[in-house]
Amino acid sequence: MNESLVTRRRALQTGLVGLGASVLLGPSAGPALAQGKEPFRFGVALPLTGSAAPFGQDQVQGLEWAVADINAQGGAGGRKLQPVIIDTQANPQIAVNVVTRLLSVERTELLITAWSAVTAAVSPIVNRNEVLALIIGANSPRIASMGDYVYTTYPLADVDVALLAKFALHEIKRKTAAVIHINDESGVYGARVFRDHFEKMGGKIVAFESYEPNATDYTGAILKLRAANPEVVHLQGNAGDSPQAVAQLRQLGLKVPITSYTAAYNPQLVAKIGSQADGLIVASLAPGKGDSPAVAKYVERWVKEKGREPNNIPVTQYVHDGTYIVKALVEHLDRQGKPLAGKNLRAAMLEVRTFDLPLTGKVTINDNHTVVKPVYLLEVKGGKFTPLKLYE
Amino acid sequence: MYDSTILAQILWTSTASAGFQILFTIAFALVLKVNKIWNFTQPALMGIAFYAMYVVVNPLDGPVLAGVALALVSTGAAAYGIERLAFATLRERSSGPIAFFIFTLVFAQFAIYVLTLVFTTEPRFMLKSMIWPMRLVAGVVVSDWDLLAIAIPAVLAAALYLFLRFARPGQFMIAVADNADLAEIYGIDKQAAFRLAMVIAAILITAAMYLFGARLALFPELTLHVMIFAVAATILGGIGNIFGAGVAALSISILQQFSVLVVDSRWQPLLVSALLFVAIVFFPQGVKFKRRPDADGRAGLPAMAGPPRPAE
Repeated sequence: MNESLVTRRRALQTGLVGLGASVLLGPSAGPALAQGKEPFRFGVALPLTGSAAPFGQDQVQGLEWAVADINAQGGAGGRKLQPVIIDTQANPQIAVNVVTRLLSVERTELLITAWSAVTAAVSPIVNRNEVLALIIGANSPRIASMGDYVYTTYPLADVDVALLAKFALHEIKRKTAAVIHINDESGVYGARVFRDHFEKMGGKIVAFESYEPNATDYTGAILKLRAANPEVVHLQGNAGDSPQAVAQLRQLGLKVPITSYTAAYNPQLVAKIGSQADGLIVASLAPGKGDSPAVAKYVERWVKEKGREPNNIPVTQYVHDGTYIVKALVEHLDRQGKPLAGKNLRAAMLEVRTFDLPLTGKVTINDNHTVVKPVYLLEVKGGKFTPLKLYE
Repeated sequence: MYDSTILAQILWTSTASAGFQILFTIAFALVLKVNKIWNFTQPALMGIAFYAMYVVVNPLDGPVLAGVALALVSTGAAAYGIERLAFATLRERSSGPIAFFIFTLVFAQFAIYVLTLVFTTEPRFMLKSMIWPMRLVAGVVVSDWDLLAIAIPAVLAAALYLFLRFARPGQFMIAVADNADLAEIYGIDKQAAFRLAMVIAAILITAAMYLFGARLALFPELTLHVMIFAVAATILGGIGNIFGAGVAALSISILQQFSVLVVDSRWQPLLVSALLFVAIVFFPQGVKFKRRPDADGRAGLPAMAGPPRPAE
């Protein structure tokens, strides 16, 4: 509670400065100059307020810890990392304003951002300004083709959502599926991935319905799903609305398994819904605490310092590790003696290409701007997420 | 294509979902009838009611009843204050309807802005759990929330009807609604009737917000969207016809949910806006059905609605 109040207060204070943006200096702003090398400032555009705030704030927390750890160990080749954090509210219009300001006023050459709709909105800006954008946590398949400077370090929907379609059809033998999705970039294109793969493999989609991002009542769409009597439901929502969608699906009598991607992998969801969430199958794209000692330590740190596990933990792991990619790029360019400009950072990423990261393991950036990672399926049983299957 | 169970489910769910909309609509129609004001401060009152309950139940970890009590007091006080300090002042200055209209809109925006600053735009759940106990009745899912959502509006609407019909203050309100100046000549305190109408509206709004918050998440700006429904229902029900507006709200809700059988669900939100458009253009006095005359030749009891008068 204190933590979110602090974050909100910071966002509000800085939001008054202009454009509703909250420009925050990272935890290590000052000491960098003492090192002799200029600190490397990079932009982080995530939701600190709004419906996605509980997730964006936790992602920022993961990033701040990574920055603090890196800086405590001497930074990126002696250069301190300094994130400039701005609030997008996960809203494309706001994101365009604050990212434009970030690039023109703060002059950052690298941007970390997420949320598919936000990514789609800011991609033209980063491409035009030749600023490297690392997309961490958004999963619309279109992200792969959003421009030369837009790279994801997180697998897109055609990895995990396609696999969920396969799992629903072949593993749990459901021949008919209904899809419900949020009507935004991530929802529309992610839902299409499920539909296309499910049908291609011989399954039948009996309903394909959507709900609006600014709505909280999904009764109409769910009634239509109920009328279609599917054997499985795929939910392609965002982190903020997925708990409501699952609750309303159950409250309208849909007891069939529900598949979803990382957005629904959220402790708040089971806290609010309890055992009614049983049968929810989610795809996680990062190892859990049982799979990696480093992740176990990371979760322990959350519990110790915040008294809880993070919301949407896999994405927080990716954002945390994104900082190590930034570190690797800065070190690479410093070794080459090249300026830390967006163009060079992009080139460095393609030269290094494979990064060994502490919480998510090895990742290789493909030429088609995608990455492929193992998919961990989890199922809610007895009101708890339990490992179900690993797809290497 | 659709079996009777599905149709029954849609009918049941849409009736239950209409519960809070009916209360919002009756509250709006009541103020329009008695005070002669399009009360667009209602989203502000909705926000105050919701967040009062939210604060008690969540950060303070208090019982829901205490939250409802605080919401009743704070929303009632706000409604009373709006009437006493703002509407009464505007009347004293003989302000035109546009001044009332602008004031209510500005007040609602101001309140929403303040609520957003305090509670942010994050959707909040009022209760700790989103799940209500439920059961199957002849294949239809019936939750405890559904029962409450039908019972509370039914009880409150009946109570309001009886109050307006048989209680002296209620009769005074109707008299003021029909002709405020004439009512004053007969010794009725019209200012008291205006204040009472606002406080009753606040009670209805609080009850509606409880039902809303017990199932759905809310963020401050959502109150404006919810409000459109009440406006459409009030116009369709016939301006000044409080219970006709309630029936219109129920009808729109049922129509909206049944529409999924023929159109994609993403078009559903447009339906209310389309109805509002149709109502304003084609039925500015509401949808009226011809009544069969009684034996004495009169068309039943006089409607509670009177012709709308400009704001005083």
